[in-house]
Amino acid sequence: MKTKLVLSVIVLLFIVVPATLAQDVVTIKFWHTYNEVSPENQTLTDTLIPMFEAAHPNIKVESVPYPYDGFRQALLTAAAGGEGADVVRLDIIWSPEFAAQGILMNLSEKMSDFQQYADAVFPGPLSTNAYDGAYYGLPLDTNTRVLVYNPAVMPEPPKTIDELAAMCADLPEGSFLFSDGGTYGWAILPWIWSFGGDVTDPEIAMATGYVNGEKTVAAVQFIADMVKDGCFSDGFIGSGLDTWGGYFGGTIYSMLEGPWFYPTQESQYPDFKVGAALMPAGEGGPVSVVGGENIVVSASSAHPDEAMEFVRFTQSEEYQLEMSKVGQLTVLSSLLKNEYFVNHPYYGIFLEQLQTAKARTPHPAYTQIETVLGDAAQLVLRGEMSAQEAMDAAAEEIDALLAGS
Amino acid sequence: MGTNTTIAAARRQRTPSRDRAKPYYRWYVPYVFLIPGLVLYLLWTVYPLFYQLYISFFDWKIIPGQESTFVGFANYQTAFADKTFWLAMSNTVTYAIITVIGQMIAGFAVAVLVNRVLVGRRFFRTVYYLPVVTSWVVVSFLFIYLFSPGNSGLINYILTQIGVIKEPISWMANSSTAWVAIYSLGIWKGLGWSMVIFLAALQGIPAELYEAAAIDGTNEWQRLLHITMPLIRRTILFVFVALMIGGFQVFLSVLLITGGGPLHRTEVALTYMFDRSFGQLKFGYGAALSYILAVVIVVVSVTQTRLFGRRGQDVEY
Amino acid sequence: MLDTTRSQQRLFNVVIFLVLCLGVIVAVAPLMYMVSTAFKGASFVQEYPPRFIPETLTLENFQTAFSSRNFGRAFLNSALVAIATSVMVTALASTMAYAFARFEFRGKRILYAGLLTMLMIPGVVLLIPQFILAKNLGLMNSLPGLVLVYSAGPLAFDTFLLRGFFESLPSELEESAIIDGASPFTVFWRVLMPLAAPAISTVAIFSFLGAWDEYVMALNFLTDETLRTLPIAIANFRGQHSTNWGLVFAGSLTAVVPTVLLFVFFQRYFIQGITTGAVRG
Repeated sequence: MKTKLVLSVIVLLFIVVPATLAQDVVTIKFWHTYNEVSPENQTLTDTLIPMFEAAHPNIKVESVPYPYDGFRQALLTAAAGGEGADVVRLDIIWSPEFAAQGILMNLSEKMSDFQQYADAVFPGPLSTNAYDGAYYGLPLDTNTRVLVYNPAVMPEPPKTIDELAAMCADLPEGSFLFSDGGTYGWAILPWIWSFGGDVTDPEIAMATGYVNGEKTVAAVQFIADMVKDGCFSDGFIGSGLDTWGGYFGGTIYSMLEGPWFYPTQESQYPDFKVGAALMPAGEGGPVSVVGGENIVVSASSAHPDEAMEFVRFTQSEEYQLEMSKVGQLTVLSSLLKNEYFVNHPYYGIFLEQLQTAKARTPHPAYTQIETVLGDAAQLVLRGEMSAQEAMDAAAEEIDALLAGS
Repeated sequence: MGTNTTIAAARRQRTPSRDRAKPYYRWYVPYVFLIPGLVLYLLWTVYPLFYQLYISFFDWKIIPGQESTFVGFANYQTAFADKTFWLAMSNTVTYAIITVIGQMIAGFAVAVLVNRVLVGRRFFRTVYYLPVVTSWVVVSFLFIYLFSPGNSGLINYILTQIGVIKEPISWMANSSTAWVAIYSLGIWKGLGWSMVIFLAALQGIPAELYEAAAIDGTNEWQRLLHITMPLIRRTILFVFVALMIGGFQVFLSVLLITGGGPLHRTEVALTYMFDRSFGQLKFGYGAALSYILAVVIVVVSVTQTRLFGRRGQDVEY
Repeated sequence: MLDTTRSQQRLFNVVIFLVLCLGVIVAVAPLMYMVSTAFKGASFVQEYPPRFIPETLTLENFQTAFSSRNFGRAFLNSALVAIATSVMVTALASTMAYAFARFEFRGKRILYAGLLTMLMIPGVVLLIPQFILAKNLGLMNSLPGLVLVYSAGPLAFDTFLLRGFFESLPSELEESAIIDGASPFTVFWRVLMPLAAPAISTVAIFSFLGAWDEYVMALNFLTDETLRTLPIAIANFRGQHSTNWGLVFAGSLTAVVPTVLLFVFFQRYFIQGITTGAVRG
């Protein structure tokens, strides 16, 4: 009888103790779009997450990669299902929309030391987290596009758009001076802005007069002409042309690329010489587009405190520095004084470009606005509508979207 | 056991012509067999079908905490006015017709040949059926790769080499060329299925019929038209209806290859519904669209069966 | 006269054989190209002229695919889900088909008609309500939930197929078993099922295949990385900025090989199964 009692106590201990211990370990899910086999994903899983878990033994971080193509949709359906992530690396253009839908946690309110982190980052990237007077995340990484060119075939990069256009004359058959993948915002806005045009007025209330203004229309017309002449590739009209493949193959002379390009180039084509310059300047200057991601917490997260801990970690100098080494440019203003950046082989040009780069429209309906703009530009590039006509129609639709219908 | 045999035997002796009147099973037995499958079926297929109808009358929100507003027939009205939806529907119909005809002709031709060939019948049958068992996801990626733009795409390479085209085509840039890729995928992947069915039907025709006809002085072609076709009429109808239903449901290949683009020009009914629902979060609208599609499919199938099935009895020989 | 006919015949047979071989090339070439690309290094994937047989064979794509953390798990998940679906569909369809084929009961005609009507409704059409239903039942983000969703889809067609098959089987064996006092369950399990092996294998294999490469539902239902199935893992190999096709196809091959093996070994059974259901149906 006594042995039975002792035995059952021991068994119970074996069950109860691990159970209570296990209860203390919380697992948070971190959703992102780092490609499985990319350097940035490796840094995340091999260096950074273990670093965090070592410092926080009661928190485990599960990294969940998604293809960029279906990411937005997956986030929305997961939010609908109530089974989502705790922490997300969210494209900056989606922050206002997701905040408006109630999917994101109001960090400026819920995070007691928010201001300290807000002060440490660049104001531009921080502003992409703003909605309705509060902040729904912190910036994680920033980037922009610069003109990456092949010095072997293009010894001097064009400084202005006119110079670029002049280079078309000597272009051999089967080569393209420039290539991009479509007319979505990321591709077309640098041109629109460098021409001096814009999508909306500064108050983001109206598109008429801007997206169908003289300069914007001229920019779209320019790209259409370039594609028609065979100077720009037909990747712009969605042919699916592999821009990187063409670049490394020597048939595409230049493209706009972000800092993630370099680590991949170093690993796959280490002997290839790469040149980088600012976006060719137009009337508006050499203006490029600001990209990046924010780190946000899901409003329905079951572990908000742990999630916020991870967010704080991403704002640390260690995290930001490690990620910068694999093409994820930091958002911490203090880090720029670090010797890593002072003589960096390629970040220099990006930082320079960032000074004149603009952000895309920070409005909850941005994804729809971008579709309208992109579709209108497509029609022009395909020669199905005149630039002015297409942009006028776009202006009307975008006005309605801005008004919130 | 022994008693049962005796009783059963006695029962049969007593009422020889009525022994089917008293079934050998209790009344609940059929239901026991039926219920598990039926429950899953009702829960997961029938109930959603009605739930779908319900949703289609709302501006349905799925994010918790948001309210869905009742809109009556507004979704349907919008659908009927939606030009892109009608484009998607007509694309779907065209896809169905072209790929079904392609699969049936190719499948039938191959079946006839395989039926006739002396060597390797099983080999041919297996190999032609292979594309059928491959995954839509994998073959969609494969066809994207095959139809790559520029000279390095295999299809472009072959076509330029044999002189059909001079310049490599950017297949995905325009809907007309993109459809070529999508249609070829549909036909390539499906012809093995109809081939196998036609082959079985062909093998069911006794050889004596052909021999008799040969003696009467007919040629192969005449025998094909006048003996083979009428005899497998019912099979042809079955394949036709089944393929049409499948054709209307084309989805994954279009989603992965063009995503409905460029500019929504290669949308089919299901990709458009999917885009409205999961892309734009207009679930009520998407529900209305799918209901309309379902009705169309049912009407088409029933019409087909009525029209072509009237003389659908296999000719007796 | 007879001689010419015979040599004509021979020529004709040779021509048929050659035409079929040509067709085989068309049918199989894309798949062969996929196989060869899987063995190409990244820089050869978009080379000109494209080669069927790679200049240098490399296993790096397979290495990358298998060392990617979740690929192996996705394979396992897919296998589990597919097998479970197969078992469930087979069990439910065969029991329902048996009820319709061998029994008389109230409501039989209506139920069967109802079942048939659903055949014409495409499964993807029900995606939205099924999604909402799964969410409400708490089945989201779980493999069992996915199995349920996958099982319900083919049920109508497979019941139809099996019913046709059962009815085509002579009932003598069953009747003698009944006379011997066997219960309906025994008859079903021990007499009918073995007889119906070809059709049953068809149903089992096709529901396995359907679950094995389903993509859309899995993508939206499963948010946990550890629960991901194979098609999603393969899709993940497409990069945000560019696609390494060699890697994508190395992953795809891993998904396709079991399918092909299954097919080649069991083809006799299930071709017989489809055709009987179709030709007699």
